[in-house]
Amino acid sequence: MKPEPPCDTPGASRYIEFGVQSNFSFLRGASRPEELVVAASLLGYAGIGLADRNSVAGVVRAWSQSKHIKPAADAAPAAFAYRPGCRLVFCDGMPDVLAYPRDREGWGHLCRMLTQANLRDENEKGATLLRGADLLEWGERMSLAVLADLSRAKDQMTLLRQIKDRFGEAVRLAVAPAYRGDDRFRIEQAAAMASALGLRLMATNDVLYHTSARRPLQDVLTAIRLNVPVAEAGLELAANAERHLKPPAEMARLFRRYPEAVEETWRFKKELGFSLGELQHNYPDEPTRDGATPQQELERLAKEGAAERYPGGAPASVTERIREELRLIEKMGYARYFLTVHDIVRFARSQGILCQGRGSAANSVVCFCIGITPVGPDKIDTLFERFISEERNEPPDIDVDFEHERREEVMQYIYAKYSGKRTALAAAVTSYRARSALREVAKAMGLSDDVRSGLSSSIWGSSSSELGEREAKAGGLDKADPVTRQVMDLANEIMGFPRHLTQHVGGFVITKDRLDEIVPIVKTAMDERKMVEWDKDDLDAVGLLKVDVLALGMLSCLRRAFDLLEDHYEDAHDDYGRSYTLATLPPEDASVYDMICRADTLGVFQIESRAQMSMLPRLKPKEFYDLVIEVAIVRPGPIQGDMVHPYLRRREQKEKVEYYKDELKAILGKTCGVPLFQEQAMKIAIVAGGFKPGEADELRRAMATFKRTGTIHNYRDRMVNGMADKGYPRDFAERCFKQIEGFGEYGFPESHAASFALLVYASCWFKTFYPDVFCAAILNSQPMGFYAPAQLVRDAQDHGIEVREADVNFSGWDCALEEAAFDPGKVLARHGDMRGVIKSRHAVRLGFRQIKGLSDKHMEAFVARRGNGYASVRDVWLRSGLDVAEIEKLAQADAFRSLGLDRRAALWAVRALDGKSAAEKLPLFDRPGIALRELEPEAALPKMPPGEHVIHDYRSLGLSLKAHPVSFLRKRLDGCGVMPNALLASAKNGRRVRVAGLVLVRQRPGKGNAIFLTLEDEKAVANIIFWPRVFDRFRPIVMGAKFVCVTGKLQSETGVVHIVAEKIEDFTPWLAVLQEGAGGDGLASESGEAQSNGHGDLSRQASALLDSGTQKVMPKGRNFQ
Amino acid sequence: MISHRDRNAQRIAALDERAEALGLKRGMGIADARAMHPAIDIEEADAQADRLLLEGLADWCDRYTPLVALDGADGLFLDIAGCAHLFGGERAMLDTMLTRFLQQGFIARAGIASAAGAAWAAARFASGSIVAVGEEAALLAPLPLSALRIEPAVRESLESVGLRRVGAVMATPRAPLARRFGALLLERLDQALGRSDEAVSPRLPAAPLSVERHLAEPITQIEEIERLTASLSQTLKHDLERRGEGARALGLMLFRVDGAVSQIAIGTSRPLRDPLLIQKLFHERLAATGQEYEVGYGFDLVRLSVLSVAAFDMQQTDLTGEIKDAEADIALFADRVRARLGDNAVRRPISVASHLPERSIALVAFTDAPASKSKNRVPSISLSERPVRLFRSPEPVEVPATELPEGPPLHFRWRRALYRVVRAEGPERIAPEWWRESIPDAMAKEGEDAGEVKNRAVAEKTASLTRDYFRIEDAEGRRYWLFRQGLYDAGRTSPRWFMHGIFA
Repeated sequence: MKPEPPCDTPGASRYIEFGVQSNFSFLRGASRPEELVVAASLLGYAGIGLADRNSVAGVVRAWSQSKHIKPAADAAPAAFAYRPGCRLVFCDGMPDVLAYPRDREGWGHLCRMLTQANLRDENEKGATLLRGADLLEWGERMSLAVLADLSRAKDQMTLLRQIKDRFGEAVRLAVAPAYRGDDRFRIEQAAAMASALGLRLMATNDVLYHTSARRPLQDVLTAIRLNVPVAEAGLELAANAERHLKPPAEMARLFRRYPEAVEETWRFKKELGFSLGELQHNYPDEPTRDGATPQQELERLAKEGAAERYPGGAPASVTERIREELRLIEKMGYARYFLTVHDIVRFARSQGILCQGRGSAANSVVCFCIGITPVGPDKIDTLFERFISEERNEPPDIDVDFEHERREEVMQYIYAKYSGKRTALAAAVTSYRARSALREVAKAMGLSDDVRSGLSSSIWGSSSSELGEREAKAGGLDKADPVTRQVMDLANEIMGFPRHLTQHVGGFVITKDRLDEIVPIVKTAMDERKMVEWDKDDLDAVGLLKVDVLALGMLSCLRRAFDLLEDHYEDAHDDYGRSYTLATLPPEDASVYDMICRADTLGVFQIESRAQMSMLPRLKPKEFYDLVIEVAIVRPGPIQGDMVHPYLRRREQKEKVEYYKDELKAILGKTCGVPLFQEQAMKIAIVAGGFKPGEADELRRAMATFKRTGTIHNYRDRMVNGMADKGYPRDFAERCFKQIEGFGEYGFPESHAASFALLVYASCWFKTFYPDVFCAAILNSQPMGFYAPAQLVRDAQDHGIEVREADVNFSGWDCALEEAAFDPGKVLARHGDMRGVIKSRHAVRLGFRQIKGLSDKHMEAFVARRGNGYASVRDVWLRSGLDVAEIEKLAQADAFRSLGLDRRAALWAVRALDGKSAAEKLPLFDRPGIALRELEPEAALPKMPPGEHVIHDYRSLGLSLKAHPVSFLRKRLDGCGVMPNALLASAKNGRRVRVAGLVLVRQRPGKGNAIFLTLEDEKAVANIIFWPRVFDRFRPIVMGAKFVCVTGKLQSETGVVHIVAEKIEDFTPWLAVLQEGAGGDGLASESGEAQSNGHGDLSRQASALLDSGTQKVMPKGRNFQ
Repeated sequence: MISHRDRNAQRIAALDERAEALGLKRGMGIADARAMHPAIDIEEADAQADRLLLEGLADWCDRYTPLVALDGADGLFLDIAGCAHLFGGERAMLDTMLTRFLQQGFIARAGIASAAGAAWAAARFASGSIVAVGEEAALLAPLPLSALRIEPAVRESLESVGLRRVGAVMATPRAPLARRFGALLLERLDQALGRSDEAVSPRLPAAPLSVERHLAEPITQIEEIERLTASLSQTLKHDLERRGEGARALGLMLFRVDGAVSQIAIGTSRPLRDPLLIQKLFHERLAATGQEYEVGYGFDLVRLSVLSVAAFDMQQTDLTGEIKDAEADIALFADRVRARLGDNAVRRPISVASHLPERSIALVAFTDAPASKSKNRVPSISLSERPVRLFRSPEPVEVPATELPEGPPLHFRWRRALYRVVRAEGPERIAPEWWRESIPDAMAKEGEDAGEVKNRAVAEKTASLTRDYFRIEDAEGRRYWLFRQGLYDAGRTSPRWFMHGIFA
C-alpha cells in the first residue's frame, strides 16, 4: 500500500473512522484488527475505532498494534488515536449502534451490557441476544452513533427519539454512503432526520476490510456464513467493493455537502478518554496474616519456605537471590499474583492432589521457596529477570500442572473462592489452519467433494504454513488454472482468521474487581463454565492475572504410585520416617541413573519415546541436570536448529567445545557451547545479535504467531547480520535463528525442562525399585504416554513381576497389588542388572478397568456386593446388579476362571441369562447359594484352543497374559531363519539378520527422512530403520501390515541396536494360525470363486473369512510423526 | 476399487482382483489403503446406481416369473413355482439363466431349492446346484454360519462359543440355542431346512392387467412394435370393458434379447381404453423417446400392462362433441408440444439473484420452473430502480464530459443522436463477479512484497470492471439507464459508457 499524498482539504486529516468491523466480527469482517490500524495510519487517519459485532474480542490486538504506530515526521503532531468500542447489533429491531466508552466506567458498562446479553438463559452458546432495553440500561458514560436503517425511517424515528431522550448529547446519527444509486438522497434524509431529532450527523464508511482487494475474501466469508457457494449467494453478496478504508480526502468528498459530518468524528473522538491500559494490574487480594500487605505476606512466606527448603539454613547466594527477586516483585507490584498461585497450590496439596508449577515466572527462587515449583536454584540456573522484565511490564506467567483426574477439584475451588464474578476461563481463538482454510474456501468456490477431500488430505496435521503447488497437485488441480489460484490465494488469505472462541483448557483469569466490568463474559459449551472474550496473549497485553491450571497424566500416575507404596511397603519412607513425596524421594540415586543409561525407560515420563531411548545410551545421564538436558534436547527446537549432534559429539568428547567468543561462554557453558534451551537462544540474540531484551522476547512471540504479522524476515536478517558483524560464523548464527524459530511453538525453557526432569526422575525411581507399583499405577492412569497396556505389562513381567488376570472374585476396578514373593530368577537376562536392585514384593492383579466397555460405577458396585465371592455366572447376575451385556463382557475377558469356567463355558452360561437385569425377576428359584441344576440338555461345546484365547484376550483386554501371539509361530519362524529379538543384543555388529514381530509403532520424526518401526515378539522388541528408498519400495507393507518379517543389517552403536532394513515381508496372514478352524479344516469362503457343481469340495478352500477376524483384533500399530 | 462411508470412515466396499493382489481387503479403511498404495484408484460407491442395476436385472428376470424379489444389495429371489416347465424344467431353466447372465457380462451364482433359505445358501456356497426336498441338511451342514442369513452379532456370538458351522448348530439342542441366541436363529435354520415357510414378497405388484407376446424372431423395427402394441391394446380393451374401467397409466415393456429391459410409460389425463388412442400416444412417445432405448439385436418379448386403472365414466358430451376444460387444455398443449419438440421447447423466464443486471434474468424449461425457490430469496433490488426494457447487450454511448470522479454525463450520443441530460441519479456501483474472472498477474513495483502486488492487481482489476449506473432523464422527459465501466482513478484504461436499458 502506498501512502496517499497529504490531503489539501482542510479538516480532512481529522477524519476518524468509527464504523469498523474486523475479522472478529466472525465471517463478516475481512481484515485483521492489526491490518486495519496499520492501513488507517498509512492513509493518514488521525485515528481509528474498532467496533466488532457485539464483541470486543479484537480490540486488544488493535490496541497492541496501535502502540507501534509512530507518527511520521511530517504528519500532524497529534498521536494516532485508537479507541476500542463495539457495534451493538440488536435482536429486537433497534438499529445498530456504535458504542464507544468515554472512560473506565463506560467500559465497565459496555462489558456489563454485553455480558448480560451473552448470558441470557435462552441463548445458544455463542449467541448474543442484545435488546434495546440493555442499551437503555447500560448506555451511560458512552458516546453512541446510531446507524439508522433509512429504509424504515418512520419506526426508526421513534427508536432514535428513545435513545436521544435517554442519552441526549452523547448520541449521533451515523450514515454511510452505500453506492446504490440514491446516496445523495439517503444522506439528505439522514441529515433531515438528525436535525428533526436535534442530533448531529456523523460520517462513516461502515468498513469491513482495509483494502478493496479484500472484497473477494469478504464474499467468501459471506458464502461460508450462509453455507452456499459464492456463485449462488447472489444478492447476499455485496454489490461492490466500497466498504474499505478510504482516504480521508475521499470521505470529505463523499460528504462534501455535509462537512460537519466528517468534522463530527473528531468531536466524537475527543469525548472518548478510555484506554485499555487502564485495566492493568487488577490482581485479586488474598487474605494475609494480621492484615499484612501482600508484599509483607509474600516475604514472610518466602522466608518460612526457605527455612523449610534449607533445613540447615539457606546459602548466602540464595538469600541474596530471594532479596533481589522480592525487590523486583515489589517494584512491579506482583506480590498478589504470587499469593494467588500459592493459595491454589496450597489448596491442592491440602487435598492430596499432586501438582507442580512451571512456566516463565516459575523460574524463581521465591516460587521454589513458597512451594510452587519443586526444583531449586542449586539444580538449575534461575533467570528471573528474563521472565519479569522491568521494561516489558507484562504480568508474570505461571502454569501449574495437576493430576489429570483431579484437576476439576482445583477448578471448583477457584470458582468457589472467587465466584463467577471475579473469575472465568481465558478464551482460545480457534483460527483457520491450512486444512480448514482450504476446505471451506474450496467449498465456497464450489469445488466438488472429491477435489476437496483430495486437497485437504494433502495437508499433514494442523499446519498453518503457506499453501501452494504441492497441495494443489494432491487435489488433482493445476496451479495455473485460475480457479485453483483463486482458491489457493483466498485460502492463504483466510488462514489465521479467527473462526470462533473456545475455552482455553485451563487458563483462569482472576481479578479483584468485577470481571464482567473488565471484559465481557460469554458462555462455553459446558453449562457451568464461563469464559472471557480475550485469549492468553490479549490478557498478557492488557496485564490481567492468568493462571494456567493444567492436567498432566504422569502426576496422576505418580500420586497413585505414592499411595500404593505407602499401602504396601511400610518400609519405604525417608530418613525421618515420613512417606515419600515428590520433594523427598532420595535424590541422585545411582541405580536409577544406571537404569536410564540402559534405556530401560519404557513407560516413564518424557524419555520413553524411541528417539529419547536411543539418545539415552549416548547421553548417559549421571545427574539431574543431564535429565534436564535430555528432556530439552529431543524437541523440535534443537532438532530444527541442528544442535543435537554437535552437543552429543562434544559431550562424548569427540569434538572440541568452542564458544567463538567469551561472551557466549557464560551463556552456553553448561551445554558444551550448544544452545539447547529457549533462554539461551534469547540470550544469544541479546548478547551476540544486538537485540534489546524486550525485543528478543518479541522475536520469540513473533515466531509463534508469525502468520499474524508476517515480519519474520526482518528479524532473521537482523539477527544473522548482527551476529556476523560481531564475528560469529554465519552458519552458527543461522542455526541459532532456526532454533528460535523451532522454539516459537515447541520451546522448552530451562525451568520447564527442569520441572519435567523431576517427574522423569520420580517415575524412573519407581520403575527402578518398585516395578510392581509403577506398573499398577500407570495402568490405572491410562490413557497416557507412549505405550499401550500390553507393553507396560510385558515390561513389568520382564522385570520379574507377576501379573495376574482380571477375575470376578479377585479384581477391583483398578489394578491392585497382591502379596507375592519376588523371584529374581524371573528377571530377563537383559535386565539382569536389576536383579539386586528391585525391591518388589507384590504381584499386579489386573483390574476391571482393563476390560473394554465396563463402567467404573457399575463395577465398583459389583465389587461391593461380592461378599465372600460369587459362586456362579447366575449368582453374579442375581447379586451384582450388572446387566447381561456387562456380564458377557466379563465372560469375554475370561474373568470367570476362579469359578472353574473358561471363556467359552462362561459365555455359554451368560447367554442363558435373559432380560435386562436380574432385579426384574421373581426370586422364586433364584436364591443365591442354591445350586439349581439348569434344566436343559447338555451342549457339547468344542474346546477353545490357546491361540484363540489369546486373540480374545487381545480383543477384550488389549493384551494377553497367556501367551504372546508370536510365540505360537516361533517354530515356523525358526524354520525361516528368523532370529528372536532377544538375541539381537548379543549379535555381531554389521551382521545380516532376519527378525519378525508385531508392529508396535511407526514413526517419522520431524522432517527426518528415516522411518522407524518397532517390532515386538514374545520376548523383546527390535528397532528397525527404513531409509526412504527402501521404504518407498515396501511402503504398503510398512504402513499396512501388522505382523512383519524384516531382513537387514544389524547396527549397534553405544548399546543402541538398530536393524537397517533391506527387505520386509508381510507375515500378517500367519496370524490366522492362532484362530480356531484355521489349518486342517478350513471353511468355504464367501469370497471364493464360483465353485464346481455339487457340494463335495466345499471345505477345501482355506478361510480368508476367518483370518480377517484375527487381523482386526491385533493392534494396528500406532503412527507418530 | 470402490469405497463407501461407514460411520464416518471411508472403507473399501469392493475391489477387483488386481487390488486384492496388492493385499487390500474389503472393509479396510481408505486412509490405510492409501498409505499403503498411494496410487490406487478409488471410486465412491454409488448405492443408487447399484440398486438401479439390480432392479434392471430384476426387470429382466420378469421374463421367468412375475414374482421377483430383491434380496439385500446383491441378490434376487425368483419364485418359480409353476414356471419351470415353461423353460424346460428346473435344470434347463437354471442353466439358461446362468448362461444368459454370463453372456451379459455378469458373474451370477444361482441355486434352486424348495426352501428360500436353502436356495440362498446354495446360490452363495454351491452355485449351480439344485437341492432336492430333504437334502437341505446335507447341503448346509458343512457351510459356515454366514450361510444362514443371520445377524453378524448372532453369528459372532455363536462362533465365540465354538459353533462355527451350520452342522454344529443343527447338532446342538434347540432349547438352549433359542434361549441364548433368539428365536430368529432357529427360524432361519428351519427356513433353510424347509421346515417352515417363508414368504418372498415380489418387488412389483403384478399389474392388474397385462398382455404379452413372446416372439420367436426378435423384432427391431419401430413399426413392428407399434403394430404389436395395437394388437395388444385391442386385447386389453375387452378386459377393461369387462371390468368397467379405463387405463390411467400404461406401460410397454420391451425385453431385449441381451437382457436389457426398457419400459415406456404413458400417463393419460382421463381413463382410456380406446386402442387407437393408446396406439397414438405410444406412437408419439416412441418417436420422441427414440433415444431412451436401443434396439440392439431386437426384442423377443413385448408386454403391455395397465399400471393403474380408474373407473371409466361414460361422459355425456354436448352436441358439438366438445368438452371444455381450459386447464387441461394448457397442460395438454404443453404436453403435446413437449412430446413433439422436446422438453426444452417451452421455456419461462425467472429472476436470478445476481447484482449484474444481465444475469438477473434467466430462461428455464417449462417443467423445472422453480416456483418455490424464487420466492425464498426476496430480491433486495426494487423493480422500480430497473428499466422496463433491458437491452440484451449494452450499447456503447459517447460521453464527452462528466463531472469527475463519479458524476453523471452532461450530454451523451447514442445511436448517432445527441441527448442532453437534465436530471440524473446515481451512481449505483456494481462490481464484477470476481469468481468468474481471473486476476491478471501484476508486475511488482519497487519495494512491494507479493501480497501487496496481488492486492493491487485485485483492486485495479475490480476498479476497471466496476460499473456505475445512472438513471438519466433527457430534455424530453425520456429516461435511460446508462453506465460507465471503469472508475476514473483506476489508471490505465479510461472508462467507457454504455446504454443498458430504457424506462418506459
